[in-house]
Amino acid sequence: MSAAAAETLERDPRDPQVRFEHFFDPGSVELITEVDRSGMLAAVGTVEGTPVTAFASDATVMGGAMGVDGCRVILTAYERALAEGTPVVGLWHSGGARLPEGVVSLHAVGEVFAIMTRASGRVPQISVVIGPAAGGAAYGPALTDIVILGPEGRVFVTGPDVVRSVTGENVDALRLGGPEPHGRRSGVVHVVAPTTEAAFVEARRLASLLGNQASLDLGSVTDLDLGSLLPDSPKRAYDVHPLIDVLLDSPGVELHPRWAPNVVTMLGRLGGRTVGVVANNPLRLGGCLDSSSAEKAARFVRMCDAFGVPLIVVVDVPGYLPGVGQEWDGVVRRGAKLLHAFAEATVARVTLVTRKAYGGAYIAMNARSLGATRVLAWPGAEVAVMGAVAAVRILHRRRLAEVPEENRALVELELAEEHEKLAGGLARAVEIGVIDEIIEPTQTRSAIAAAIAAAPARRGQHGNIPL
Amino acid sequence: MAEEIRAEMVANVLSVPVTAGERVEPGTTLVLLESMKMEIPVLCEGGGTVREVHVEPGEVVQEGDLLVVIG
Repeated sequence: MSAAAAETLERDPRDPQVRFEHFFDPGSVELITEVDRSGMLAAVGTVEGTPVTAFASDATVMGGAMGVDGCRVILTAYERALAEGTPVVGLWHSGGARLPEGVVSLHAVGEVFAIMTRASGRVPQISVVIGPAAGGAAYGPALTDIVILGPEGRVFVTGPDVVRSVTGENVDALRLGGPEPHGRRSGVVHVVAPTTEAAFVEARRLASLLGNQASLDLGSVTDLDLGSLLPDSPKRAYDVHPLIDVLLDSPGVELHPRWAPNVVTMLGRLGGRTVGVVANNPLRLGGCLDSSSAEKAARFVRMCDAFGVPLIVVVDVPGYLPGVGQEWDGVVRRGAKLLHAFAEATVARVTLVTRKAYGGAYIAMNARSLGATRVLAWPGAEVAVMGAVAAVRILHRRRLAEVPEENRALVELELAEEHEKLAGGLARAVEIGVIDEIIEPTQTRSAIAAAIAAAPARRGQHGNIPL
Repeated sequence: MAEEIRAEMVANVLSVPVTAGERVEPGTTLVLLESMKMEIPVLCEGGGTVREVHVEPGEVVQEGDLLVVIG
């Protein structure tokens, strides 16, 4: 056995120094707090050469429970990150506040929440939940921009024992706060990783994307035919992922892939520069916006704006999902968050309508009226209040009722053609200025890159409240 | 472990290209739905054997209705 292997065997994998070595570039780790019994340790180092600050729970001491001294370590890490302007990454494995310390530990955990909130929108904050993050430790990651969950990661406010004694529900930690509930149902977790090592890889990619955004090199942007990724039939739903993968230099990191999957939110690079993509996914719910997807997209837009990440909005949306469930779920309130997020965003935000943009959802997907930097459309794209046939069914309800049933479809089509001429279709949308330019699908990458490069570099002056 | 594939939204069932007993790969279309004037394929995620088919063409399904069980 080699000396290095022997050393690894001797060291507890829960040791925060071991975790730092896994997370940072080799040999770049420098501790900024003392190795002690506080249950927390902080360090600086680099990730793909980019300076990053990190702190890690020490699960070898009282299960990583957070007391006054441990919280002091997190504050030190944040003060350093804010002073140097680096991303700050938390490696979590903690049962929550230290019981024996009583209220002073609660006070200290509250101070951690306060500094996280002060740092919000100023430096990127990423959490990797490796083990349990319970109680106070759950709200730590929740206040940060991005939460990554490893296979052993569990996030909950009250654990299985408390749930059982209070409500009588028998539930284990996995079902209460594991990858399945948080990846699919709650939206608490942005990235679910199959292994702890993979969780570190994702955290490194995201720290690099947000910490080293680089500048857009127009010369490196080659054009590809994105149009070939759409199905032939305009009625046919399709998965938007392959289109985004080709739009970006290489596949990016998707946030919330399984939660509200009818909208895709992804960080990646175009021309080497970090960009954020918001795209309708017709494969799920036909690409309709609903309360969860609007909220997910709104938070992503605000995060990108806070860190100066330009946005690319890929639109193929039939509308808002109708139904009692949606209305009672607050689709009006939660949908308004997306309107607010786009309208307040100061970063470059380029919209591309690939097939259709209907109704209220047309506005919500970064329309000209919300202040889009540039709105592009592929030939044949439809921009309308609703589809032409649906529109004439409302506009000509009485007249259609008088038509014999066997002729109705034909008359509907005729009226729809007439309606399109009147309402104007894409040409009219260009004329009134809500679409800036019709581009060929083969020009998509260069047209979007040029629009981003031409826009002034700006950054929203606001935090990133976990909407 | 059986995987229950359920409807995500109210829809008409246009076609059911699979039958019970058939082997399906990830990405196979299990059911073709129509909703919001679009044809939306319901794709197999994990792959396996079709254990049960609960819908037929022409039916209207509600959100949460069981479509297919993959084992």
